[in-house]
This record gives sequence, C-alpha cells and structure tokens, in this order.
Amino acid sequence: MAAEENGVWGLVEVFVSGLQDGKAAELATGTQVKAGNCTVLQVVEALGSYLANSEPRTRGRGVQLLSQVLLQCYPRLTQKEVEVLVLFYENRLKDHHLITPHVLQGLKALSMCETLPQGLAVSILKAIFQEVHVQSLMQVDRHIVYTIITNFMRTREEELKSLAADFTFGFIQVMDGEKDPRNLLVAFQIVRDIIVKSYSLGPFVEELFEVTSCYFPIDFTPPPNDPHGITREDLIVSLRAVLASTPSFAEFLLPLLIEKMDSDVQSAKVDSLQTLNASCAIYGQKELKEFLSSLWSSIRREVFQTASERIETEGLSALHTLCQSLSRSVVGSDGEDLLDSFLNCVLQDCKHHLCEPDMKLVWPSAKLLQAAAGASYRSCYKITTSILPLLLEQYNQHTQSSQRRTIVEMLLGFLKLQGKWIHEEEDENALTGFKDCLCTVMYSALTDPNVQLQLVGIKALTALGSLQGLLSTSDMELVVDHLYRLIVEKDAQNHLAAMEASGSLARMYPSAFASRLVPKLSEKLQTDQMEPSQSSLRQRCLRALSAVSTHPCIVRETVPLLLRYLQHVQKGSILCAEGMISVCQSLHLLAMQCQQDTESLWYYHQTVIPCLLALAVQAALQETQTQAESPVLLDESVLTAMVPVISAACSHLSPELVTPSVSQVVGLFLHGDVSFLPENSFPRRFQPFQGGESEEKQRQLVALLMAFVCPLQRNVEIPELDYLLLELLTLSTSSRCPFAYTSASKCFAGLVNKCPAGEQLDEVLCSVMERIESGLVDGFDRTRVLTLLLWVTKALVLRYHPLNTQLTDKLISLLTDWELGPAAADGFFLLVSDTPDVLNKACHADVRIMFRQRFFTENVPKLVQSFHAADEDKKPNYLKALSHVLNSLPKQVLMPELPSLLSLLLEALSCPDRVVQLSTLTCLEPLLLDASQILSLHMDTLVMKLLSLTCSPAMAVRIAALQCVHALTRLPLHVLLPYKMQVIRALAKPLDDKKRLVRKEAVTARGEWFLLGSPGS
Amino acid sequence: MKDSLTLLSRLSAHPDSRCWFLAWNPTGTLLASCGGDRTIRIWGKEGDSWVCKSVLGEGHQRTVRKVAWSPCGNYLASASFDATTCIWKKKQTQFECVTTLEGHENEVKSVSWAPSGNLLATCSRDKSVWVWEVDEEDEYECVSVLNSHTQDVKHVVWHPNQELLASASYDDTVKLYREEEDDWVCTATLEGHESTVWSLAFDKSGEQLATCSDDNTVRIWRQYKLGNEQGVVCSGSDPSWKCICILSGFHTRTIYDVSWSHLTGSLATACGDDAIRVFEEDTCSDPQQPSFSMTAHMSRAHSQDVNCVVWHPKEEGLLASCSDDGEIAFWQYQRLE
Amino acid sequence: MVGGNQLENANPLIYQRSGDRQVTAQDEDEDIPDKIDDREIFDLIRSINDPEHPLSLEELNVVEQVRVKVNDDESTVAVEFTPTIPHCSMATLIGLSIKVKLLRSLPERFKVDVHITPGTHASEHAVNKQLADKERVAAALENSHLLEVVNQCLSARS
Repeated sequence: MAAEENGVWGLVEVFVSGLQDGKAAELATGTQVKAGNCTVLQVVEALGSYLANSEPRTRGRGVQLLSQVLLQCYPRLTQKEVEVLVLFYENRLKDHHLITPHVLQGLKALSMCETLPQGLAVSILKAIFQEVHVQSLMQVDRHIVYTIITNFMRTREEELKSLAADFTFGFIQVMDGEKDPRNLLVAFQIVRDIIVKSYSLGPFVEELFEVTSCYFPIDFTPPPNDPHGITREDLIVSLRAVLASTPSFAEFLLPLLIEKMDSDVQSAKVDSLQTLNASCAIYGQKELKEFLSSLWSSIRREVFQTASERIETEGLSALHTLCQSLSRSVVGSDGEDLLDSFLNCVLQDCKHHLCEPDMKLVWPSAKLLQAAAGASYRSCYKITTSILPLLLEQYNQHTQSSQRRTIVEMLLGFLKLQGKWIHEEEDENALTGFKDCLCTVMYSALTDPNVQLQLVGIKALTALGSLQGLLSTSDMELVVDHLYRLIVEKDAQNHLAAMEASGSLARMYPSAFASRLVPKLSEKLQTDQMEPSQSSLRQRCLRALSAVSTHPCIVRETVPLLLRYLQHVQKGSILCAEGMISVCQSLHLLAMQCQQDTESLWYYHQTVIPCLLALAVQAALQETQTQAESPVLLDESVLTAMVPVISAACSHLSPELVTPSVSQVVGLFLHGDVSFLPENSFPRRFQPFQGGESEEKQRQLVALLMAFVCPLQRNVEIPELDYLLLELLTLSTSSRCPFAYTSASKCFAGLVNKCPAGEQLDEVLCSVMERIESGLVDGFDRTRVLTLLLWVTKALVLRYHPLNTQLTDKLISLLTDWELGPAAADGFFLLVSDTPDVLNKACHADVRIMFRQRFFTENVPKLVQSFHAADEDKKPNYLKALSHVLNSLPKQVLMPELPSLLSLLLEALSCPDRVVQLSTLTCLEPLLLDASQILSLHMDTLVMKLLSLTCSPAMAVRIAALQCVHALTRLPLHVLLPYKMQVIRALAKPLDDKKRLVRKEAVTARGEWFLLGSPGS
Repeated sequence: MKDSLTLLSRLSAHPDSRCWFLAWNPTGTLLASCGGDRTIRIWGKEGDSWVCKSVLGEGHQRTVRKVAWSPCGNYLASASFDATTCIWKKKQTQFECVTTLEGHENEVKSVSWAPSGNLLATCSRDKSVWVWEVDEEDEYECVSVLNSHTQDVKHVVWHPNQELLASASYDDTVKLYREEEDDWVCTATLEGHESTVWSLAFDKSGEQLATCSDDNTVRIWRQYKLGNEQGVVCSGSDPSWKCICILSGFHTRTIYDVSWSHLTGSLATACGDDAIRVFEEDTCSDPQQPSFSMTAHMSRAHSQDVNCVVWHPKEEGLLASCSDDGEIAFWQYQRLE
Repeated sequence: MVGGNQLENANPLIYQRSGDRQVTAQDEDEDIPDKIDDREIFDLIRSINDPEHPLSLEELNVVEQVRVKVNDDESTVAVEFTPTIPHCSMATLIGLSIKVKLLRSLPERFKVDVHITPGTHASEHAVNKQLADKERVAAALENSHLLEVVNQCLSARS
C-alpha cells in the first residue's frame, strides 16, 4: 500500500538507499512505467536529486535504476524521451568510472530503440570511442559495448557508414587487447561484418588485420567444466571467417600462414592449412602471385614430410583450392599465365619422384599432382599430358607386380580426375594421344598373375572406359574379351570385380556387351552344364549375366536367356534344385538392378512373372506316381528362391502399371484363370484353394501369390480381397504341408498389415481370433494355428494395432504349453526380427518406428514376472523368448533396464539351450562395453560361465563367448587383473579350435588380455 | 626301444608359466624346481606321489632360471633374471633366504656348487663367470670374475671331484677354469659347436664331458693329460680336451639340457622338439673313439619344449624332466638287455 | 634398442593392405575342421605396428604372405621378415614383436621360428640367433621398457 501511495518516488528512494531488495524495486518501477502509471521522464525527475548527488555511489545507484527501467521498457520510449536520455547518458560517460557500467546498460537499452532519432547512433558511438577505455572494463561491461555496436550495425548501417573509417578505427581501439573468449566471439563477428558489409577500412587495413590476427593460431583450451561452452573450434572457425574474409588481408595473411605452417605444433599446421584453404577460395592471381613459390614449398614440405594423415589431407586440399583460384583468373594482358608457371613448379618438384627406382616419394607426389589436377580443366590437361607418358614409361621399366600395381593405382587416380572435366569442355581430350598406350598397360595388368595388379587394372580400365568418346568399338570389343576371360577363367579371383566393371561399362557401351559378352556367357553356360564340377563356373556365368544387365537393351537379351535356361534346367532335372536356385538368384540380382529404370522393370515384370507362374503351375499339375517324383521346381528351396524374384518385380511398379497383372494373378489363384500364362494347356484345372488335401502341391504355390501381392504399394487395390483373405485363412489352418500353411499365414499377415483400419479389418480380425481360439483347443491344428497366431501378431505389432496386446498375451501364455512352449519361445524371434520376404519396409508394410522398444516395454515385465513364477522345466522357454526380445533392441534402450535383467541373463548363460546361450551372449556383449559398473560386481560368475562357453559344441556360441571375453577387457583394470592368468590360460584352448573363425576371436581376446596392466598398452 | 622309457607320473609344477630347471638334493629325497612364475618349489615323495613341500616365492623379482643344491644338502642356490643369486638355508621343512649375491649386471643364468661346498660359481648374460668363496659363517665373497667368453654365459658346472669349472656360452664355446696362484684362469676353450652351447655334464669320473647345443648336436669331449699315450698335444701343464664323438641327426631342434648318470653312465637329453632321448655308449666301442646309440626316444615327452632332464642321484634309471608347459614328469628308464 | 627421435627411414615405400579374409561356406560349416594356413598366420602379423612409423608391417612390406610357412600337422611356423633398410636397428624389435604376437596367438603346440629374409639385413645372423634364443626372449619380455614397446606394436591402432 505504501509503495502505491508514494508511487515512483517511494520506489526510487527504496532502491537508491539500497536498504531493500533492489531487484524488486527495479521490477516494480518498470511495471509502473509499462502499465502507463508514470513516464520514464517522471522516473528521471524522481531520481533527480540522486542523479546529481555528490557521492558517486549514490549517483551510480540512480543511473543503475534508470538503466534497468529502460531495459524493461525501451520499446515504449518516444523519440523525444530518447533524445533527452541519450544526451543525459552521453554526459554521464564523462562521470566517475564507477558509474560507467550502469551508463553502458542504459545505452544498450537505447541502442535497441526503434525511435532513436537519426544521427544519435553515431553520436553514442563517438562518445563511447572517445570517453570509454573499453579494455579496462570488466568482461560483462565490455560485452555490453560489443552488444551496443552490434545493435547499431544491425539497424543503423547507413548511418554508421557515414563515419567512414573512423568507425573501423574506433572499433579497433575498442577490441585491442581483448582476452575473453566470449567477447572475442562477438568481436570477431563484428570485424567480419565490417568487412563483409563493406564498411570503409580506410588506411586501417593493416591495423584491423593486426588486432585480429594476433590471436592466430588459436591456442585456447576451455577450462574443465567450462559453463560457457565455448570450444577452441568455435574460436578457430570464427577467427578464420575474419581472416579469410577479404583479399585486402592477403599481403599480411599469407606470410603469417607460411610462417605458422612451419610450426612444431600440429594443430597450428592444420589451422594454417585450413585458413589458407579458406582464403585462397576468395583470392585471385593478384593476391597470390607474390607468394606462390613460398606457398608451394610449404605445402610440398608438409605433404612430403608429415606422418599425419590430417596434415596431408589439409595440405592437399589447400593446394587444390590454390590451383582453383589461379584457374579462375583470366590470363593477364602481359600474357603471364600464373597457373601455367605454378603448375610447372609443381610438376618439376614432383615428376622426378615418380621415376625414382625405389619409388619412395611416389605417393605423396602423386597425391599433390592429383590435388592440383583436380582443380580445373586446364590444370588437369596440363598435368595429365605431362604425367601420363611418364607413368606409362615407368610401368614398362618396373617389372615387379607390386610396383606396377602402384603405377596403375596412380594412373587410376588421374583417369578418375579426367572424368570430372570431359563432359564440361568439348575441346581436346588430354588422353586422346595416350589411349592406345593406356589400353596396352591395362591389358598387361589384366593378364598379370598378380591378383592385386589385376584388380587395379580392372578399376582403371573401368575409369578409362567411362570417359566419353575415348574408346572405339574395337577397343571395347577387346575390353569385353578381357573381362569375359576374368569372369570365366579357372580360379578367377577377380571375377566379382570384372562383373562389376562389366555392369558399369555396359551402361555406356550396351551393344558391345549385348553382342559379345552375353552370347559368350550363354554359350559357356550351355556347354559346361553337364559337368557337376563346373557348378561354380555356372554360377559365375549366371551372376555375370545379371551383373551386366545395366541397360534396357541388355536386359531384353539376358532376361529371356535366363528364363530359357531355367526351363532347360527344369526339363533336364540333372542339376536339380541347386541349379534352379542359382538362376533365381541371378534373376533377383537383375531385378534389383532394374528397379531404378521403369522401362526395364516393366519389361522384366511382364516377361518374368507369367513365365515363372506358368512353370510352377505346370509342375504342380503334372501327374506323378509318387511323392518322390515331384518336380524339382516344387522343391521348397526353389520356391523360396523364386519369392524374391517375383517380389522385386512388383514392389517398385506404380499402381497404374501393376493393376492389370494384379487382377490376372489373383484371378489365377482364386478362379484358376490361366489365360495370361504363355503356355497354358494344362491337364487339369489350377485351384490351389479348392483342391483339398490331395492337392498340396498346388497349395505350395501360395508362396508365389504372397511374393506377388505382399510387396505391392499400399495404394494398389487388390480385387476380391475379402474372399482372398478368407481362402488364405482356411488354407493356413487346413493344409498339412508346413510350407503351404506357413506361406498362407504370411500372405494373410502381409495383407492384414496393410488393410486400412475400419469395419472390413475388424471383421477379418474377428474371424481370425475365433479361428485361433478354437484351433488351439483342437489337438490336430495346434502347430498350424500357432504359426498363424505368430504371423498375425507380427502384422499387428508392427502397425501398433490395439489388438496386438491380446495376441501377444496369448503367445506368452503358450510358453507354458507342454507341446507348443518351445515353438512359441522361438516365435518371439520372428516377432522382433526383420523378415526378408514379407512385412518389411521394402514390401511397403506398415512398420512403425520404435515398435521394438514398445514391444519391449509392454512385454518384458510380463515375461520376467512369468519367468519367476514358472516351473523349472518351463523356464528355458521364457529365457529364450526374453533373450530374443532383448537381442533385438539397441543397447541404449537396454542399458537402464540392465540391473533388473542381469541376474536373469547370467542364469540364461547356464541354460543348456544353445539358442538361448547365443542370444544371451549377443545381448551381453555390447553391455559389457557400456555397463561395466554393474557387470563388474558379477565377475566371478561372468568369467566362469563365459570361459566354459568358449568350449561349447556350437561354433556360434564359442565365437560369441569369445567376443564377450574380449569385451570384458573394457571393465576397470583392478576388476580384471585377478583373472588375467586364468583367462589367458583358458584361452589357450580355443586358439587351437578346429574352426578358423573361432580361433580368430580367441586370438583377439587373448591378445587384449595379455595387454591388460602391461606396460605400453 | 619304445618301452625303455616309462612315464611314472606327471604334475603341474608351475601353472600358467614355464618350468625351467630341476635339481635333486644329494640324497635324492627332494627335487627343487624353478620357473617363470618367479618361484622355487620343493617336491618330496609321499607314498607313490610327488607333493609340493614348500614354495619359495619371496626371493626373486623375475624368472628363476636355475637352482643348485649344496653338496651337504642344507643349502639351495637360485639364479634369477633379476641379476641376483639367492642362498636358501633349509630349516627342518622350511627354507629361509640367508644371503642374496649381487654383482652381475643383468640376468644370472646359472649357479653351481663345487664338490667341496666351499666354492660357488655363477654366470650371466653380462658375459662373466663369478667364483664365490663360502666361509663357516655363511659369508660369501667373490674371489674371481672371469671374462673369457665373448657373449652370454648360459651354464656353469663343476667337475665331480676336482676344483675345475666348466662354462657354456652363446659364443658357441665351452671354457674350463681352475685356480692358479690365488686367481682363477681359463685353461681350455672347447670349440666345435656351431651355435649356442646350452648345457654340459661331466661323467662320473670327470674324464669326459657332454655338451649340448642349438646346433642340434651333443658332443662328447675327453680329457687328455700331459704326456698322454694317444699323443694329443697339450699346451702347458693343463690337460687338453678333445671332441671324441658327435651325436648328430637325432635331435630336430635345440637341445637345452644333457644329464649324464653317475650310476649307469646313461646320457639323457632335453630337446626343443618336446622329446627326451637316452643314449648309451656301445659296449665294445673304443674309449678314444666311442660310439653311442640311442636307446630311448620319448617323442612327445611334454607338450612343449623340454628344458631340463636330470637323473636321480641314487636310484638307477629314475629321470625327472620339466618343460615350457609348466609340468614336471618322472620317468623310469629300463636298460636294454 | 629404440633409436632417437630421428627416423632412420623417413619415407618408406607404402604398400596397400590386403583386405579381410573372405569367409567361405566351409568356414561357416561346424563340422569341417579348418587347418591353420599361411594366410591365417599372415593375418596375425600383418597388422603389427611398425615401431617407428604409423604404419603396419604389411604396409611397409616387412611381412608378406609368401614369406610365411605353416605346417599345421607338424605344428611348425616359419616366418621371414624383411627390414625396410639393411641397417635397420629396429630389426630385432620387429622380429621380437612378430615372435611375441605368434606366441600369444598360436596354440602352444607350435614351434615358431622367426628369421630375417636372407640377404636383407647387415646383422642377419646375429638378429636371427637372438630371436631363436627363447631364454633371451623371455628375459626381454620381463624388461618393462622392451615389453612396453612390443605391446605398443601389438596394440590395435585407434
């Protein structure tokens, strides 16, 4: 009440006398002003006597209050008020130094006023420059000065520029001697703005450079627990932005950088090179000219001498930018071409290293040359034409494969660079004159017995061939012949690389490959097919056929060829399943390559799907006497291999294209409509859903239906969906063939996952639930029903459908089932893992991110609880289910749960079930790396159990156990040392494991244990 | 030949480490072993099995390379890579370290007591052999430092009944020393081995010396005194030693040790090919040019290098061996009829 | 054994690293024993760090697969290594590192011989003899300075 009566006067008195909480008074006064109860001028009036008080401290309190009030209500100030206040504050700057900080606060508030009249910003700055010795202020107050300047630069740019170079000079004085990193960041930003926004520097260029470059290179190390969070990197970047902001600094900066590059401190070298890189980007010939030779010798020295990859990279990058800048400049009127003379220096210093017989500095030299050549077409032309003849000659002079390999690797580097320019510049191709020699060298490399040399040869040849318009048709024929040889020759070690090269080159030279490689491969495939020993060669040919199919016109050759071969193999029946699977794999690879190219993919879809379906239907309807005579094509492994072939042909096609064939395929399965199949005279009707138990062979083909319908995009409409779902449901619980009913369940789940929520889905789910409930009671159907339950649960878990909880609970309850328990436990793996053929992202399934975390949170507590309550003989089922779920999760999610789960995990290690052992180990390993604290409490148990598992009969368990033993070494040393000898002793045994992969892990683990607590580790 | 060497028992003596050397006490009731675990262990027989009677763990900072019993059986000397030699005194069943001999620059590789018990010899990688004198108060004084070898000295051993010392070295030679006017001098250098000589052993009489080497051979040397019948030349008054037999072609890797039984004259070897072999001089061979036959070959005597073999001093044919695998094995050798 | 700050061979020729060994179907098959072969031994030693360059022995061509011979049945391994220059004072240390790596990584049944490639080092015989002397090797590994350098050679580079 008292405050209100006395109004502002009272508040002012309270504040200035400093008897009570000043903050409250400041706020209260500010509020009064903001509320319109009084004006700022009234406050000034009220302060009157204090502002004139003879005691500086009292005057200070007065000014402080005023400034705080202004900071709160500066947006409300009128132009008139501002004018008065500015005058007042400018005067106060001359007052006692104790008052200055408060004055600056007030000026800061005024600097934010939009109503500040024209001219006053300049006036304020002049006053500050004149009256305040900024560097003797406290850090906070200096920061206010920078803020005032920043504010004005943002809002009063024109006005400030009227000060011309005085402003720049004023600021130089303000920041000269600044030491605080927080202020430096602001000051650097101001300098950068002065330069970038073209404030006049006048005669002060060098001073401005000096006042900033004195901090280079930054050697600031933030104190531990620094609350400001300023890093050395922040300062480096911000200073670099200043130094590299203008060509005017060039004459000062370049000598400085040349000096600092020679520093002994690695970080100074790196910083200098990076700054050089940044500044070269804006320099032209004029700035660089004088320093070129010193710059080159510094860069060369760093790259030649350094052991640090970082410095090498930065050095090369700086050289690259330097050459780019020189390339940008037009050749001067005096005809002096700086780029040309600079490159001459580079060539002169590097070239001879390429010819030294001991090849000592070849790599640094080649890297320097390539960095320069990569800068522009001109550099590339000059360097390439000068270096290529040399390298070609060197190739012939060296006879050792390893040396030749080095040369071809260098050639490869130059060829790759060539590719950067050739498209841009139409004129002369630097390589034209060397083409024949290059080809000769490549062919020599390709025929060398040294595998490594062959490999770079292949890569270099690919690079050469990728250069537009260089190789002629006859060259390419020779290239194709070499690649063919590398693919099919005995013990071909580089066949994969040769195939990859064929794929890349075929894009550019489709006819050469279509007319030469494809027929040869086809011929090879035919001639050797009777030889069982040739199976690896056959696979190579098949794989090569898919690899080379990178152009639509080749696809049109290879697809029919592969399909004919498939038919051929089926009739021959000598090669049985393995041969068919190889063809399918090849077709699949081919489809993956076509996916980016609609034309090829559409052709593939139209050609492959009817053909495969026709073959399958034919086989299913074929009359056979006994089960044993069943056609190879109906082998589960072959059908499984066909699934991805069909899927890949469907998943990437647009709804418009794919809709007609959806009707055809659904019609085939639901109504036996075979009209679209290429060969469609069958002995009987195809009716996989109606055929009953006698037609299990037809039912198996549901896998192919799944392969077709499940990967379709979600907006493709599937005709007769209800009917189809119903038939699938029936088949999934009635077939006796596991492959058929599992495929039906998967197909059903795949479709349900994509069904939009609504009545239709609810009805379908309702009928599934009924079927599952009743089926689990019945003795005959139980395994089938569990399969259905698993897949449907997965479909719903993925899309967060509300019903998923109920289904998962059902599954958990089955863990105690005497018959289905173990299978239900395995089923948890299915729920949380990615499945390759259905219900995944590639199939456009509805998969919510974090579904695993959600599943974990909802179900792990239930599983743990039930585990503790379960009978001993059922516990392994819970452990298995749990370990599957835990294993699927990222360790960050698992970590917080670890304390509660650890005893269970340790128990799981003793579980005799190998699957449980393995997944527990896999789960433990990352935890050992990150949760050392908790785990170190259980060392005895851990070490004992892990060591005993290193001798498990299962190889995968041995490997995982050894990986864990290795991971143990991350625990604190004092925890480990008592076990060191025991572990080293125990690991001697797996060193002699019969499996190499196990030995490898044992070696790694044992090596690390040896190093524990040993000097030098 | 196969059954001529039978395994009696095997025990893990220095687990997680290698066992370097064994020594029987003079009466053969105790066996001392030493190894990379820096300990010395004393083994005694209880019933049919060998048990560890005590572990001497505190004396050395590094590998204990060799041990040797004094002729009275009351002292044990141990040579270690920590550059010291410890003297342990037996008190009932326990051992106490009574003196630590320092002086070698680096690893002490071997130690041996003279038959009188008054002299002790040590040798080291510092290329020197030191002779120490022992008085009644158990005080040890170095009486000579012999720098005859040009390399690492691997082993020292005294003549069975004279004050004659022999040393084997990385410089491929063997040297013999005796006292002469208050100092010790090298009297003979035995040259012939083509690589490091790892160990040596005198026969019972001391007339013959067996040496084993990294060149995969064993050589037998014989002493010829001044004016010998065979006309072997001697320089000065000292006897001359001549190689009279080379056992080559039997061993496939370095031979680390040789032991010459003073009871039966059988020669046993410890080899880096994991085998133990026994040789006998052929009954009718010429003593000046004897021939030896291999009478036992236990090819996988240990799972790793065999470092040491030693015949029991009292029981004929009882042999102890030890290996890098940390184990000690006891064998019974049956002479062929 | 360790020299001063000056590198003896400041600019060695650098060779490419071979890739990881391809895992074959046979490797994955539980029932087929895989013999220890030359490549497996080479893989053990190729990543050993050179004591003075930030490079592996493979990158310096100090070790090559053709200079590795293993006989799993007879439990023998012989490795030849080639110092970068004939007077390399690091030769013994490199040999020691190879030897220690193999001793730590191979089943104890193996006899490991490490030699200098004939004719590539001035003190070939002396170095070979030292490396073959297991007593000296054992003593060297009880010397903490040497052990430190060897361990650094055997540590995984970060």
